[in-house]
Amino acid sequence: MNRLTWRWASAILVIGLFATLSSGCIATGGGYGYDGDVGIGYYEPAGVVYGGWGGGYRVAPFRGGGPRAGQASRSAPSIPSRSRGGNSHGGDSRPR
Amino acid sequence: MHSQRCPNLIGTVATRSLLVALLSFACAGLAAAAVSPLPPLVDPASQEHHVGKVVFVELVTPDLAAAKQFYGGLFGWTFRDIRSGNTEYAAASLDGRVVAGLIHKEFSSAKHGQPAWLTIIAVRDVDATRDMAVQHGAKVLFAPHNFADRGREAVLADPQGAVFAVLASTSGDPPDVLAEPGEWIWSSLITRDPDADAAFYKALFDYEIFNLPAEEGAQHLVLATDNYARASANSWPANNPKVHPHWLNYVRVEDADATAKKAVALGGRILVEPRLDRHGGKIAVIADPAGAAFGLLEWSDTDSKEVTQ
Repeated sequence: MNRLTWRWASAILVIGLFATLSSGCIATGGGYGYDGDVGIGYYEPAGVVYGGWGGGYRVAPFRGGGPRAGQASRSAPSIPSRSRGGNSHGGDSRPR
Repeated sequence: MHSQRCPNLIGTVATRSLLVALLSFACAGLAAAAVSPLPPLVDPASQEHHVGKVVFVELVTPDLAAAKQFYGGLFGWTFRDIRSGNTEYAAASLDGRVVAGLIHKEFSSAKHGQPAWLTIIAVRDVDATRDMAVQHGAKVLFAPHNFADRGREAVLADPQGAVFAVLASTSGDPPDVLAEPGEWIWSSLITRDPDADAAFYKALFDYEIFNLPAEEGAQHLVLATDNYARASANSWPANNPKVHPHWLNYVRVEDADATAKKAVALGGRILVEPRLDRHGGKIAVIADPAGAAFGLLEWSDTDSKEVTQ
């Protein structure tokens, strides 16, 4: 083989080695960062225990806006009510 | 003459064979390096941005196949598998819209963790949000990182320890529309000190905070931006004081009782039985087969249900 051929072969070898090693060692832009190629995988701290929700325990938003409360000068807003088709289905208290 | 041509021929064949082999090697390496990108948050991309909105959730689970079977059976989600190295990721869709991501990760109970849904909140500048969060007492669990087609993302623990992520989506944020059944509709931060945590999140996302009537000794704050309720901050139940602060996300369902029963039939557990909540519909909390908790929240298309205050 002549010198030119060897140069091409060496270049291809280097590219191949770099690509192969980078696929195994570098967190690429594909969505994986933790621990090298592991995804955004984070186990929550232990201790999330449920139960004991008393009768008055509330977590959900109001429908159509809540009462004025605390220092707020207006009622609490609700979640969006507009459907993807454009119709409104209650819950939205957003001023128009 | 023959004796001169033959070595040349052999040399040429050997050279070409070597080049083909090396080219194949290089191509294989490049193919391995090209990772399937995560699906964009919004497709087609939009210019909408809603800072402070919960725009995505991702499950970390030790059994991806079981999770796909469970959530597919419960909500009708379908999945597209994405693999990178040893990592398996499944993009969950409903009616063609990506609704969640499922990530496989080996679980070691020795690490004192548990499978969970990660709450991802929209920001415009992840690095600035990270800096602001740290100034206000947060910890960085995963430094800002770019993900192809998804955007820049970081994972943080708020000052009380609740884990959440921030994302600057390159495809824009999902529009402010009512979630369809089977989509995420609401999120609650259940924490030791809702006032302190609400102030922390207000610093990050410029939330308006509304203090709603709650049972004695409890707090129920609504965090709002763009004049929409984005999430609640709740004190944890008075008679369950050993809860670790966490975010809980709810899927919209039409019938919480029926969905809870179905979840059990699919291998899940009921953590909080279906119960009437403030909006007039029922909510429930379920654990999937691996123990990751999520909520069910009824939200009808009509206003026929009486609002419970």
